[in-house]
Amino acid sequence: MSFRMILRVFLTVFLCLRASGQGGGELRFSIRNDPKTFDPLLAEDEASGTVRYLTGATLIRIDRKTQKFAPELAESWRILAGGTSIVFKLRQGILFSDGTPFSSDDVAYTFRRMTDPKMHSPVGDSFRGGPGEIKTLVQGPAQVTVTFPAAIAGVESLFDQLTIVSSHSPKKELATLGPFVLGEHKPGSHVLFRRNPNYWKKDATGRRLPYLDSVRADIQQNGDLELLRFKRGEVHMIDTLDPELFDRLWAGSPGETRNAGASLESEMLWFNQVSGAPLPAHKKAWFRSKDFRRAFSSAINRSDLCRLAFKGHADQAAGPISGANRLWANAKLAPHVYDPKAALARLHRDGFRLEKGTLRDRQGNAVEFSLTTNSGNKARSRMAALVQQDLAKIGIRLNVVPLDLPSLIERITRTHDYEACLLGLVNVDLDPNSQMNVWLSSAANHPWNPKQKTPETAWEAEIDRLMRAQSSALDPKKRKAAFDRVQEIVWEEAPILYLVNKHALSAVSRRVLNVSPVSLWPRLYWNPEYLRVTNQVAQSR
Amino acid sequence: MAFARRISILFVTLLLAGLGGATLLRLSPGFGVDERDLDSRLNAASLEASQAARAGERNLGRFYASYLSGLARGDLGTSRLFGRPVVDLLKERLPLTLGTVLAGFVMAWVVGITLSAVSAMVRNQALPFALDSFSSALLCIPSALLAVLFYRMDVPASAGVAAVIFPKVFFYSKRLFSSSLAKPHVVTARAKGLGDVRVFVWHAVPPVAGELIALVGVTLALGLSATIPLEVILDLPGIGQLAWNAALGRDMPLLVSLTLLIGAFTLVANALADAVAHAATGAGSNDNSR
Repeated sequence: MSFRMILRVFLTVFLCLRASGQGGGELRFSIRNDPKTFDPLLAEDEASGTVRYLTGATLIRIDRKTQKFAPELAESWRILAGGTSIVFKLRQGILFSDGTPFSSDDVAYTFRRMTDPKMHSPVGDSFRGGPGEIKTLVQGPAQVTVTFPAAIAGVESLFDQLTIVSSHSPKKELATLGPFVLGEHKPGSHVLFRRNPNYWKKDATGRRLPYLDSVRADIQQNGDLELLRFKRGEVHMIDTLDPELFDRLWAGSPGETRNAGASLESEMLWFNQVSGAPLPAHKKAWFRSKDFRRAFSSAINRSDLCRLAFKGHADQAAGPISGANRLWANAKLAPHVYDPKAALARLHRDGFRLEKGTLRDRQGNAVEFSLTTNSGNKARSRMAALVQQDLAKIGIRLNVVPLDLPSLIERITRTHDYEACLLGLVNVDLDPNSQMNVWLSSAANHPWNPKQKTPETAWEAEIDRLMRAQSSALDPKKRKAAFDRVQEIVWEEAPILYLVNKHALSAVSRRVLNVSPVSLWPRLYWNPEYLRVTNQVAQSR
Repeated sequence: MAFARRISILFVTLLLAGLGGATLLRLSPGFGVDERDLDSRLNAASLEASQAARAGERNLGRFYASYLSGLARGDLGTSRLFGRPVVDLLKERLPLTLGTVLAGFVMAWVVGITLSAVSAMVRNQALPFALDSFSSALLCIPSALLAVLFYRMDVPASAGVAAVIFPKVFFYSKRLFSSSLAKPHVVTARAKGLGDVRVFVWHAVPPVAGELIALVGVTLALGLSATIPLEVILDLPGIGQLAWNAALGRDMPLLVSLTLLIGAFTLVANALADAVAHAATGAGSNDNSR
């Protein structure tokens, strides 16, 4: 063996050892607010959700890339008794971050705590579809059966939000099973997460994950400042960028921008159809007319909304479910076609007429009403202005009224003192069961006419029936067929006009490795255990 | 006796300001609603529980009673927005804001007094014109816009506070100095050949010292109010940002406590400035009489 050969072997061994011993560094990004809670069962806001995602572990996780269920703490599971029970076989030898062992007792405890009516846990509410108690049966340290009072279709998807907490750790919910543990929280400044030394996952070479030593989430409310800090290298990624900032970054550093395509977020518009709303009778009649709603929809140029309001970083929306939700979107639906002439023809059939540039109804009332939206959202304000221009072409005078969010919520949920509303919808769950409180006519979040005692229209009764059917059917094909039909009814009746699906825009520094942006939340750190931060800029991507 | 009277006036003013703030907030649109109301995951029982938790604030009488009894024990309640005790939030954020205000205040006074003195003393018209224009420009620019400018220039927030306070100090002190320099005894002193600086320090400043010190309280309060847009735009976790979030989130315990705090700061600063000014004026008049 020549000296050169020996040197080469020595160098290879040295570099391998160095690489294996290298820490993964500290990943830094921003969150908008301080987390409201560190209890994963009470997490509602996005910041608390981030804490839960980085520190917690679930029995089943939805793989953000494939959108399929992946086993986490549960090695396997079986759904029994017509969907009323689920049996989990748990992984063994797993420890919480404080060294206490994980077992089926922790799963049972988590369920007891989550379903405690006094907790008002959002995750608990997702599981508690109706009356009756959720029971758990511990069958040894590695097996547990959860029994629901009634069958829950697609129950696996609910487990993606359910973080298992320790039943006997003195640190309570701060003892975690996820890749990181809470290190420090300086309110108003940052939340620091440290590597969980007991994390159970290992990489292909047998090295214990996560690679990162720590994650620092800085509290940063201002998106412009966040981008400035990203450019300076003070933060390594921006999970959600608005189109304007995305283009600004693209202009200077295109290699650091990421567009994962259509996201689950929709921009939508609906009319107030509440019978008791404080509106003139003729306006209520307009909003309850399917022809009026469909004509309104056809008069909106969705292509312009995508191009001008979102700088091309949005797709025209066809229905309630974005194409990003591969399993549940109805692929047969296409966006309502922009056709002002067809819109006017439809309105004429419904008794409206265009006189000297003003649209009037049968009684001669000029069609003029307000579009309420939340203030402070640039893209939405632009969108409202564009809709206003489009509607002017068919003689409708639309007045845009931006309100701060609490005032807007009060109007749409309590006083019903509004005419039409433009808002965004953020879907965090792929399964339609998470939207029961939106589509059921009796639900508080049924946007256009909430809390109906009995469905006021035949098509709403049909939606109620289909949503209930899909929520209890265990056959995925039947569920899909029922929910496809719901989407078709919504498309046909247009109680909500879906306008655009925003793209999942983000930014990643070249120093971060193993990032694979997705359209679901979280877009960039969905695989935090595999992320690394290097001191050198990655050359190829 | 006068001191006790002054303290009781201060206390009643504060109380009226705080409780008046609570009344206005209660009457504002969107009070008592929460983003949770739009969370489709929550069932009816959880939504009702969330609304019931806020019901206590709807009844103003009950809120006043519970807030005041808590205040007497040093408990300012729990922020609905942040889910944390208000006392903790104030303790965490107060140092940053106070630091910003004091640094800005010092900068503004040092620069303001210096430039106004120069402007009042020089015989050349170009410099006063330039300084007046600069100060007028600062006076016209809203502090939110200044914050955007400073954010672009990467300048600390204290400079923003200084920019807000500076024009007040400059114009006010320049007017005082100019009138002081025009007084006959000062003109005589100049005519007798005394140096400009000596004339200014010994004859122009002492008569107006009391009035200048009285401005201290006003400018401190001005600096504190400027921190609201500055901290919001520059994303600084201080009292100003907290006040903004509390107003947007209709967070009654937090907003009432902040109103009391800012009110107390303003009143105490003004009272102290008045007291010092009073003492200085007394001392000044004694000097003159000698």
